[in-house]
Amino acid sequence: MLRINNGAGGQIRPQSQKVRDLKDTFSTYHPVVNFAFFCAVIGFGMVFLHPVFLSLSLAGAFTYAIRLNGKRAVKFTLLFVFPMMLIAGAVNPLFNHRGVTILGYMGDNPLTLESIVYGIAIAIMFGTVILWFSCVNVVMTSDKLMYLLGRIFPSLSMIFAMVLRFVPKFKNQIKLISKSQKCIGRDVSDGTLRQRAEHGIKIISVMIGWALENSIDTADSMRSRGYGLPGRSSFANYRFDSRDRIALISLITLIFIVIAGGLAGENNIQYFPYIKTGEATLFSLFTYACYAALCLLPVFINVREAVVWKRLRSRI
Amino acid sequence: MKRRGIITAVLFLIVVPITVVGGIVFLDDRKYYFISLLLVIYTMIPFFLSFEGRKPKAREIIVIAVLTAITVAGRAAFFMVPQFKPVIALVIIAGVCFGGESGFLVGSMSALISNFFFGMGPFTPWQMFCLGLIGYMAGVLAHQSLLKKTKASLCIFGGLSTFLIYGGIMDLSSVLAWAGNITKELVLVTYTAGLPFNLVHSASTVIFLLLLADPLIEKLERVKIKYGLISN
Repeated sequence: MLRINNGAGGQIRPQSQKVRDLKDTFSTYHPVVNFAFFCAVIGFGMVFLHPVFLSLSLAGAFTYAIRLNGKRAVKFTLLFVFPMMLIAGAVNPLFNHRGVTILGYMGDNPLTLESIVYGIAIAIMFGTVILWFSCVNVVMTSDKLMYLLGRIFPSLSMIFAMVLRFVPKFKNQIKLISKSQKCIGRDVSDGTLRQRAEHGIKIISVMIGWALENSIDTADSMRSRGYGLPGRSSFANYRFDSRDRIALISLITLIFIVIAGGLAGENNIQYFPYIKTGEATLFSLFTYACYAALCLLPVFINVREAVVWKRLRSRI
Repeated sequence: MKRRGIITAVLFLIVVPITVVGGIVFLDDRKYYFISLLLVIYTMIPFFLSFEGRKPKAREIIVIAVLTAITVAGRAAFFMVPQFKPVIALVIIAGVCFGGESGFLVGSMSALISNFFFGMGPFTPWQMFCLGLIGYMAGVLAHQSLLKKTKASLCIFGGLSTFLIYGGIMDLSSVLAWAGNITKELVLVTYTAGLPFNLVHSASTVIFLLLLADPLIEKLERVKIKYGLISN
């Protein structure tokens, strides 16, 4: 049901270009920092159901998505995230009849206040995670993922890199084959419907045969140049500098405080049979502040960068 | 070889129970989606490690890359039509011709990489798992000669696996995503709502297998013989 098929409307285009024109400072940090940040906010976002935590994460995800995608983020939220949130919000009261505050009956089943509130919480959680992923799509470019994968899974990241190259290459080759088939009247636009289908399959199978033979040549060439021998070096355009160290240390500190707060029950909320939260203490306020700092970290970094840049420029 | 065994054992004997128990104790046993997502990711790690562990040759890597690229391009070519995709058909053909491990890798890598073009989401690991599993099963069943390289048997396997494995698991994952507590009615409603989508998806797999199975398998087998590539 409702399979999520979101994204850039199917454009085949490497996503790194978008980042370059956007000048998002957080994207220029080391991939490890980016990855750790997204693991943390998405993991926490899927787990915490406390209203304060939910709203902080939603605020962080939404501001960062707008920072990254501008108007597109607003459109994406209204057209895609919001309807999904509505469905998620509606599913729970319809199928969940627990809770003590009964507002009315649908048929024989009670409609409870608790299940409605719970549905809203789940809906916000869902929307937040989708928004975070829309940020992942922009920030975690394929070269960053390859860099991270390459350490643990070198062959898989090799496959990854090759596939990214092969897809546009094959598209070009299909065009070439189709043009040359057209010269002998065997393109997909020639003949009856049945013949057209046959021509299409012929073109695909020519392409696949070419791709395999061609790739074997590449493989042999790789082997003769020493692929697979020990002492392999890898190209990486990333340097872990002091800026990244500071960001990573503060990220890890914030994550630990939030986890500690979670273990101490600061994020606990009971929805059924009745809604009950813990008392807000000083420590819980501290945990909220840390969670807010965590979720807004990229936005902070961007704002700080803009301020520093402005100050430096005005000094010149 | 040994290291891989140890990692797998640690993963399944220690990490998996800790995750499940941790989910019950710390997360009130209500965060099914998060816990199941972690478990899905754990399941795939041994496959990837075993591939890395045996230091694959350049030829094996590149054949898997070519098959994955064809699958990704296949998904991209049909991006306009919802659910009507050649992806599973291609993954099954890859598994049948090059064995279970290659099938798993082609399936899971094509799910991962095509989501780079179409957008990532919490559903990415699930798709990787489902497609990988179908490719792996196709390879293993073909190796056991339970799945013949004939159109009829491939189409039956393709239709059933798309409907039951891909549809079944992906719909279950959306139940886990939407609902806080899972009831029988909710599961039933989700599967009913997903039925038309899953039927279209299985039909597309069957159609693509009917069209592509014979020419593609012939091509792949020829290349395998010509260059003495990985056989089951």
